[in-house]
Amino acid sequence: MSNKEIKNSQTDIEAVASDELSDRRAFFKKAALSVGALAGTSLLANEHASSGEDDPFIMHHVKWGQKLGDPVTKNRYGMPSKYEHNVTRRNTKLLASGNFQASIAVTPIHESMGIITPNGLFFSRSHGGVAHVDPNEYRLMIHGLVEKPLVLTLEQLKKYPSVTRTHFIECPANGGQEWRGPQFNSLQFAKGFMSCAEWTGVYLKDILKDLGVKPEAKWILAEGSDNSEMGRTIPMDKVMDDAMIVWGQNGEALRPEQGYPVRILLPGWEGNLCVKWLKRIKLSNEPFFAKEETSKYTALKPSGKAIQHFYANEVNSTVTSPSPEIPWKDVKVGDLIEIEGLAWSGMGTITGVDISFDGGKNYVEANLKGLVLPKCWTRWSYIYKYEGKKIILASRAMDDAGYIQPTVDQETLITGIEAVYHRNGIETWEVAPDGTVSHMQMRSTLKRDETGKVVIDKEAK
Amino acid sequence: MFKVNKLIISASIAASAAFFMTACNSEASASGASHSGATAASTAYANGKAVIDGGVVYPVVNGKTSDYVVDTQAESMTFNYGRTPTANELAAWDTDVTHIKLPPEGSGSVEEGEELYEAQCVMCHGDFGSGGGGYPSLSKGNAVELQKTLTNQRFDPDADGPSRFFGSYWPQASTMWWYIHDGMPHPMSKSLSVDETYALTAYMLNINEMVVDGVEVDDDYVLDQEKFSKIVMPNVDGFEPEIRGKDGIENVRAYYQDASNFGGQKVNPSERCMKDCLEPTAKPTYIAGTGISDFLPPMSTVRDLPKEEGGFDVKAAYESACAMCHSAFLAPGSSDWDSYTGEGMDVVYKKGLAGTEGGMPAKGGASFTDAEFKTIVDYLVSGK
Ligand code: HEC
Ligand code: HEC
Repeated sequence: MSNKEIKNSQTDIEAVASDELSDRRAFFKKAALSVGALAGTSLLANEHASSGEDDPFIMHHVKWGQKLGDPVTKNRYGMPSKYEHNVTRRNTKLLASGNFQASIAVTPIHESMGIITPNGLFFSRSHGGVAHVDPNEYRLMIHGLVEKPLVLTLEQLKKYPSVTRTHFIECPANGGQEWRGPQFNSLQFAKGFMSCAEWTGVYLKDILKDLGVKPEAKWILAEGSDNSEMGRTIPMDKVMDDAMIVWGQNGEALRPEQGYPVRILLPGWEGNLCVKWLKRIKLSNEPFFAKEETSKYTALKPSGKAIQHFYANEVNSTVTSPSPEIPWKDVKVGDLIEIEGLAWSGMGTITGVDISFDGGKNYVEANLKGLVLPKCWTRWSYIYKYEGKKIILASRAMDDAGYIQPTVDQETLITGIEAVYHRNGIETWEVAPDGTVSHMQMRSTLKRDETGKVVIDKEAK
Repeated sequence: MFKVNKLIISASIAASAAFFMTACNSEASASGASHSGATAASTAYANGKAVIDGGVVYPVVNGKTSDYVVDTQAESMTFNYGRTPTANELAAWDTDVTHIKLPPEGSGSVEEGEELYEAQCVMCHGDFGSGGGGYPSLSKGNAVELQKTLTNQRFDPDADGPSRFFGSYWPQASTMWWYIHDGMPHPMSKSLSVDETYALTAYMLNINEMVVDGVEVDDDYVLDQEKFSKIVMPNVDGFEPEIRGKDGIENVRAYYQDASNFGGQKVNPSERCMKDCLEPTAKPTYIAGTGISDFLPPMSTVRDLPKEEGGFDVKAAYESACAMCHSAFLAPGSSDWDSYTGEGMDVVYKKGLAGTEGGMPAKGGASFTDAEFKTIVDYLVSGK
């Protein structure tokens, strides 16, 4: 990878260009091993069985079966099996605005099952580090255009009748490093800036209804108490629809990385809007122009104008199995293999997913399975008969708001390739005859015509 | 595949919230939306207005919203939890600065700003805000000139991209004052006074070569509240939809009703493309070179026992707690250290533990034991 490309990818992350590439260059010299090679080793007992020999793991007593296990008093808070230690969030220098306090650690969605992300694997993004809030000192203030401003302690907040809902949260920069072409041969990094959980809290409208909201109130500011005092403007329409103040995540308190003790949850909307370590809500007649809705989280279009207040994460999907991390192994022609994936839409509920084996030229319908909920991860599946040929897998989701995932060309012809945020173009995996998976894209070369319009460059090779 | 269920609208909608609450609007119902048992989606709120983000809402119908059963008992009740904040409490937290809310009165000069910048900001943001090591650049030159680059698109991989910096991109100067005051310096935010914040903001205007009210922000410039109110950013109209003013919300609503504004594709599901759906020019595009693969920890899906942790990892500690400042200056093994170690290592430890006037926070702002901290200092000084 050339320095130029490294530089470009860095620019994508937070629109930051850097001239000091020396330490990053050193990183690349170490050139990490290919993902596929690392995934290759495993203890497959079945190798014995297929050769007709008895499997020693059946014939002998297994090593854990003859000695006493741990007492129930060990691990008062349970931990995953030690063997699962590679299932972790990961980060990379290129996704850091200088340090790992202004950075993101992404979810291993190649290992995820069902539609719930365990709390320890939920992606973690912060702008001034993960704050550790003392719940006894926690206060939430609601003020501005209300008759009765309010201060709540955590205990008082939790007295409100609670509501529990399952929703994904997605960083709008999910996939945002790949506007100009694929960069990550990894599902975790290409699509793992998102997770899904069951959240418990109270609808913000249920608190506000007793405070006398003034009719001029059009927007709120939600502000965090962390080092960066991160704040965002939210329109009252969302506040009075499904915005929640949440303290529970998958049946326990929010994790510090998710804003312990309290964050705001705007189902389906940019993760950045779901302000963590929430301290203040201010109702106003004008928006606030916080740093994360001006300098960042705005999507530049070819016209030179940028979309501000880009709320919902649009309909999207990805194949999760196979993936670059977990390719198909030991496959024979005629084998039946389940292709699985996730689909999600911040604008509504998934109504269907189509799958393609030729990179998005032709499609067949895949099957949804499990719970199909609004603004929530939805599992889909297709059972494929392996043919021993190269295929290019692509998935395309639809939602009940009437949207369908665009092709890469359809999307970039409108938004260009410098938008950074809200990329939901169709994703493609090339699966080689040996089952190895490579991330790639099906796209045309673009140019500007004489009028400045972005068009396909038909002459491009 | 799915059926739309026609269900009866729940009558028990709390009066105070009724204006905003959603109800089933059969005309606006999205096509083929809900599966059996779930309530249908609506593209409009109960007040008839389109959903703000271009998506749908799920009105409560027969006690359900989508698949969720709703507990409606609470809706008609009033909850009197908490208390009213005092005037002082409100003032203490009401710190936002916006296009309609000026910073408090005060002033600061470019000269003072530069001094503060050199002491508290340069280690991350580089000389004159040039950035570096991944830290954001605060300027790349003349704001008005760089604003012209915002139409740049790197269709040609060697072309220059758009310059999205304070001067060339941000729509409001209020954002800068507010963010510096509440969010910077990164390792110790909320430590700058009002005057210091004016000074640093003045310096930001200066390095972006800005003009305020016809006056160039040169090295002698002094910024105060009055002058601050006159700042117009070059890219103030560079954003869509227009959110300021009384039509702000309606502009947003209208914007998201047109999918072509934001790159969305609408489709009637039964008419979606199933055959020959790609542009003939679309070609397989692969990752250039090895792509980005410096993942931490390195990618692996192996199930084995983790390696035993080998005690305190000094390099990891440096990376997480010191590199943010020390990668550029007083870096591990750098000769910069020579002027610090003259009085012996004990003095260096002591100053590091206690912090210095020159910008070193006590223990680097981290929570290591003294012994661990000293190990990191040894590594910093020796580079080994
Ligand atoms: C320890 C390193 C560090 C120091 C010291 C520091 N900053 Fe920052 N600064 C950051 C990081 C990291 C960000 C990005 C934060 C984020 O991701 O939201 C940032 C962001 C900014 C931004 C927003 C840039 C943009 O374009 O979005 C401004 C303005 C800023 N800092 C000003 C200052 C000033 C003024 C000082 C000195 C008083 C200072 N910083 C000191 C690390 C630092
Ligand atoms: C916020 C930025 C920042 C961070 C974080 C930081 N340092 Fe420093 N450090 C400085 C600056 C600036 C100086 C120069 C201070 C001076 O000249 O007074 C310095 C100086 C020092 C010194 C020399 C003190 C003296 O005057 O002899 C030591 C030792 C040191 N740092 C160790 C560390 C270690 C170890 C860490 C991480 C645990 C760390 N620093 C984190 C900014 C930082």
